[in-house]
Amino acid sequence: MMNLFFPLLFVSVLCMNSFSGVQGRKWKGEGTTQNLESILIGRCYDYIRIVNPAVGAKNCSQIWEAFKNAFINKDPCSILPKDYELFINLTLHTIPPNKSLFWENNQLLVNSFADRGRRYMSLGDTLFGFVGDFLYWCGQADSPGLDYESCPTTMECENNAVESFWRMASITYAQHSSGVIRVLLNGSAEGGAYPQPGFFADYEIPNLQKDKISQIVIWVVDDVEGPDIDSCGVNTVKTLETRLKTLGYDVTCTDNYKSVMFLLCLDNPDDSKCALAS
Amino acid sequence: DKDCLKIWESLKDAFIYKNPCNITPEDYQPLMELASHPIPCNKSLFWSKTGDLAHRYTKSNQNFLTLEDTLLGYMADKVSWCGDPTAPGINYESCPKRNECESNPGSVFWKMASKMFAEAACGVVQVMLNGSVEAGAFRSSSIFGSIEVFNLDPDKVSEVHIWLMQDIGGPQSESCSGHSIQRLISILEERNFKIICEDNYRPVQLLQCVHNPDHTDCRLCTNSTAIP
Repeated sequence: MMNLFFPLLFVSVLCMNSFSGVQGRKWKGEGTTQNLESILIGRCYDYIRIVNPAVGAKNCSQIWEAFKNAFINKDPCSILPKDYELFINLTLHTIPPNKSLFWENNQLLVNSFADRGRRYMSLGDTLFGFVGDFLYWCGQADSPGLDYESCPTTMECENNAVESFWRMASITYAQHSSGVIRVLLNGSAEGGAYPQPGFFADYEIPNLQKDKISQIVIWVVDDVEGPDIDSCGVNTVKTLETRLKTLGYDVTCTDNYKSVMFLLCLDNPDDSKCALAS
Repeated sequence: DKDCLKIWESLKDAFIYKNPCNITPEDYQPLMELASHPIPCNKSLFWSKTGDLAHRYTKSNQNFLTLEDTLLGYMADKVSWCGDPTAPGINYESCPKRNECESNPGSVFWKMASKMFAEAACGVVQVMLNGSVEAGAFRSSSIFGSIEVFNLDPDKVSEVHIWLMQDIGGPQSESCSGHSIQRLISILEERNFKIICEDNYRPVQLLQCVHNPDHTDCRLCTNSTAIP
């Protein structure tokens, strides 16, 4: 009997260890980005000193504190957009008229096209968007620490730190946009160019300030080698056009806007769609 | 993995409290060692008088890397620094320009970083030159012409591809058959590199067309509404 005791004890300890290993990854999403604080504060200074010094003096340490306090020490599934209110107040700045560029399903393309705020100022080119772009973060209840192992996805719970951040940022971005508004949609996206639910549909359109907006320009661009699922006047784009017109906006729509086409052609210069006449 | 705080300390130590006209490559040696990393072959993109275009290109096409896409270049891009013997040791008001003194912290840094970037290159390397500049696309006084060309390692680099870009609607000062390009080609051939030169390399020209979509040089073949 004694011969069995230690091997059994050993095996059961092993099992417990591997069980807690499985338990260690609480959520399905990526954990908090390493060095989050340094990155956020660094990006803040990069933005105010180099990317867009026109925004003037901002307190980057205070901004980090406000950001952190939105989600630290809380159940990571209980974070609401308004928890970022102080962060937004500290990072808010004017968005020049006619420079807003909304988008769906083409983030990298928009980044290239906006050219770091020089041509257009997408959400990622504002201070509040710039500091959070491409990062992951979440906390935990009853502990001031960040969870570096995993964070909840929006499927697991909607009111997570990252989702609520972007909802708040999108709301703010829409509220402060003026003049000619542009929105770049992906005509090859599965499910349509104008996704519903979606950030543009649910958080941006409802927060546009009608009296400050002169026109809404929709660009629907297909991937160079992609299917033409949606176009102006068709399917989801028609839904969008109708919605905006009903709201009283002056709306125009262009398929495969040339400037953006050229950008897409960079990766497919030999495609027939990209052949230059010269 | 890199120790970013150590990297900052080594940058600071290179210039803090020093006379900003007396900086030497040795001052930056620790920083260069801490921050350097290998570059994949066939990806190095050099540039001269085409910085904006080259960087927009590498941002959209991750197949190429300029110096400013490496860790060292990325950190230092668009940032300036210099020291002063009096406290606090860093001068936030002004820094010497190249014509005031050559051995200033910025110039010495970029020369060293450029040298190392060239030394690290392997396989096929690319260089984007400006065919709309009056002084010539290739100049011996540029960092490319004075440092990078001479620090490419013939044992590692097999070919040099020149992309000669002219501004859309801009002056066509020089093309691949031009004088300065011929000079560059002979310098490179003497060092045993194979050279290919291309006028208005198509993918980069497409990028130029993003800003000039209606120019005649940017007419698309498939534009059925184009008026001939």
